[in-house]
Amino acid sequence: MKNAEIHETAAAPQFRPERGSRLIRQIAKRYDLYLMLLLPIAWYLLFHYGPLYGLQIAFKNFAPGKGILGSSWVGLEHFKRFFDSYYFGRLLWNTLSINLISLLVAFPIPIMLALLINEIRSKTYSKLLQNITYIPHFISVVVIVGILTVFLSPTGPINTLIQALGGSPTRFMESAGWFKTIFIGSNIWQNMGWQSIIYIAGLSGINPQLYEAAKMDGASRMRRIWHVSLPGIVPVIVILLILDIGQFMNIGFEKILLMQNNLNLEASDVISTFVYTTGILKGEYSYTAAIGLFNSLINLTLLLMVNRFARKTSETSLW
Amino acid sequence: MQRQWRRTAMSLMIIAALALGGCSSGNNGNNGNKAAEPSKGTGNQTVSKDGFPIVQEPVKLKMFTRIAPVNGPFKEMPVFQDYEKMSNVQMEFIEAPTDGFPEKKNLLFASNELPDIMYRSNITPLEAVRYGAGGQLIPLEDLIKDYAPNLNKLMEEYPEIRASITTPEGHIYTIPGIVTLDSARTDKRWINTAWLEKLNLKVPETLDELYDVLVAFRDQDPNGNGQKDEIPMTSRVVGLPIVAAFSGSFGLDLQFGYNVNIADDKVEIWMGSERNKELLMYLNKLYAENLLDHEVFSQTEAQYLAKQGSGNTGIFFDQTNNNFLPISDQYTGIAPFEGPHGDRLQSQNAPVPRDQGAFAITSVNKYPEVSMRWIDYFFSDEGSTLLRFGREGEHYELVDGIPTYKPEFSTAETQPKLTPYAGGGAPHLISEYVGSYINPPQVQEAQKALDPYMPKIRYAAPMFDEATAQKVNMLRNDIDKYYEEQSTKFIAGSLSFDKWDEFQSTLKKMNIEELQQIYQDAYDKMAK
Repeated sequence: MKNAEIHETAAAPQFRPERGSRLIRQIAKRYDLYLMLLLPIAWYLLFHYGPLYGLQIAFKNFAPGKGILGSSWVGLEHFKRFFDSYYFGRLLWNTLSINLISLLVAFPIPIMLALLINEIRSKTYSKLLQNITYIPHFISVVVIVGILTVFLSPTGPINTLIQALGGSPTRFMESAGWFKTIFIGSNIWQNMGWQSIIYIAGLSGINPQLYEAAKMDGASRMRRIWHVSLPGIVPVIVILLILDIGQFMNIGFEKILLMQNNLNLEASDVISTFVYTTGILKGEYSYTAAIGLFNSLINLTLLLMVNRFARKTSETSLW
Repeated sequence: MQRQWRRTAMSLMIIAALALGGCSSGNNGNNGNKAAEPSKGTGNQTVSKDGFPIVQEPVKLKMFTRIAPVNGPFKEMPVFQDYEKMSNVQMEFIEAPTDGFPEKKNLLFASNELPDIMYRSNITPLEAVRYGAGGQLIPLEDLIKDYAPNLNKLMEEYPEIRASITTPEGHIYTIPGIVTLDSARTDKRWINTAWLEKLNLKVPETLDELYDVLVAFRDQDPNGNGQKDEIPMTSRVVGLPIVAAFSGSFGLDLQFGYNVNIADDKVEIWMGSERNKELLMYLNKLYAENLLDHEVFSQTEAQYLAKQGSGNTGIFFDQTNNNFLPISDQYTGIAPFEGPHGDRLQSQNAPVPRDQGAFAITSVNKYPEVSMRWIDYFFSDEGSTLLRFGREGEHYELVDGIPTYKPEFSTAETQPKLTPYAGGGAPHLISEYVGSYINPPQVQEAQKALDPYMPKIRYAAPMFDEATAQKVNMLRNDIDKYYEEQSTKFIAGSLSFDKWDEFQSTLKKMNIEELQQIYQDAYDKMAK
């Protein structure tokens, strides 16, 4: 800075470059990099900023024939209708609880799996384990739900086993009490391997000397995991946690929709599926746009809170 | 520096999050205006008011249609191939499968990317009013008057057709599939007579007798394989048809296409009534004792049809015997069961304009007159025969003057590839003349068993003006969802009948009385 100032004063009498033109010069100098940036910017403009224009229908009575601009304003009526709705409490509770339990139960498991794989000495065995655990990630949601339905049906293998052990069969897929367990459990099974990859990468980046030193000091295996491995991947954990929170309210829409039926609706009715069934299938665009907006606001609040908390406690955060 | 970065990042996040929430709808509202008046100029062409071809120079139209899993591509169907030559109207088919069809249909309207014609589209009265008032569907009443002689004749003969499709403003936005054949409007009650004979039982007349018969089906091994694998009774899933099948035994009718009783000019929505409680308790008893198939709330259409064809089912409900033809002699259609209060009504019973919203013309259509002429042909016996049976000599023959499929086209595989009516909802006339396949003697017999118990009048779902339709939509979205979910739970026993009071009061909180008043007003207007 200092150098620049001196230079500027010296050059003042003859030529004083404008701020804007300096930026242009810089861009011209590195034009290739800026060209590469164009594509992502265009993507954001088209798919993230463009649709914002349509958000106004949450405050209007949208009639497709009249267009977005031609529809009449109704203020906060749709929000009021949603808050007064019989389903409001249930939708909010289900959305929050499914995601919260997912976070509490499903989030730590890939970390544990990564630590476990990292500790396995046999290379072939650890590779095998890694492959086996992440392959389910590539099965499509429809197939997963199909598998669940077959396995958990009253005549399926699980119930046959229960009966063989003297129990009575349970209709798992048609019970509100079981819904969350099945949903989250199968999510863990499907995704833990995939999610652990990033942690494994983080673990392999830890300096081996740290392990050596801990070993010399007589640290047991558990101690080494606790004092070396885990602190080594804390930044990764925090970033992934924040990213997860960013998806918090939208998680698992397709799967929940596929698993839904009238008998488990008490536990499986969430905001995203409600928006789909009411908005897309019954054409209440404005009402459900308002609900979607509300959903996004909750999510944003959560994201900001978690990020602030992370910055305070671990000095790692998105911004 | 850091703070500024933080601020930009934050606003970025806000914007991104909001973007996720807002439904994207690339939309332009410029089609709305020209919608109101059907365009007069059909190019330089003259549209002939009768006879064929409809136009001298070929006209191209885009048709959006539902296609059932059993159908083949529309352009390979003889009806469309022949009719194109005959009418000089070339159709381009945009086919959307039955699964996910409502979604595709609504997205077409929401994004204003309209075809010329909606075909087999099941546009609900609420949608018709919404998209009609919004200018995306054009009013058809004048076109019908001038260009639809067959439809006109039917509407004169059956006044309920006009009543069910005309809005309070006097507009008609959709044309229904019209069913003048009685037996095409009811689901027959098919009972396994082979089992009855084997167990030496009588056809059940009352609900108590039905219960005993079902218990016998369950316990006495009527199929003789030594296992308790018989399904005493089953039904379809969507929209609780099992409730509709039994509501008549408790004096609960299904007027207006809804859970509505009409007595002494009074409209009653009976969802929270004591009679309905009794009905649900009865079904709950059947369910709890494994007399009602436990898959009635989850099975797919294919699973249900497989159960019909297996012969391992005691009682089920369907309009025809087509799905169990090979074993059809094992089954007989029977009368509704008499309930505890002496009620005996076949309340499941569609109106003459059965398939609502089957056809509509959109605002982008440049040839509304041609389109109307085009569809009108199918409301004649001749056109309907072409649609349902294809070419004479090739696909069908006249047997006793009535079109009948040749054997190779009467199987469950070949028949639906031949005609767009298979899979339901096609806009055409279903009369006795074209009903040989769906109305064979066995089905006629089954219908005769129901005939004495049919309601005297059948009101189709009424049309409301836009504001009322909006209101009804809002009320019913909540109420119907709640009712269906709770009824399912009552029947399946996952909700105890102790909660009935709560159920009633929730319905009240959802303003069911307001909804009842709206239907009452609609009835009063009709009665006048």
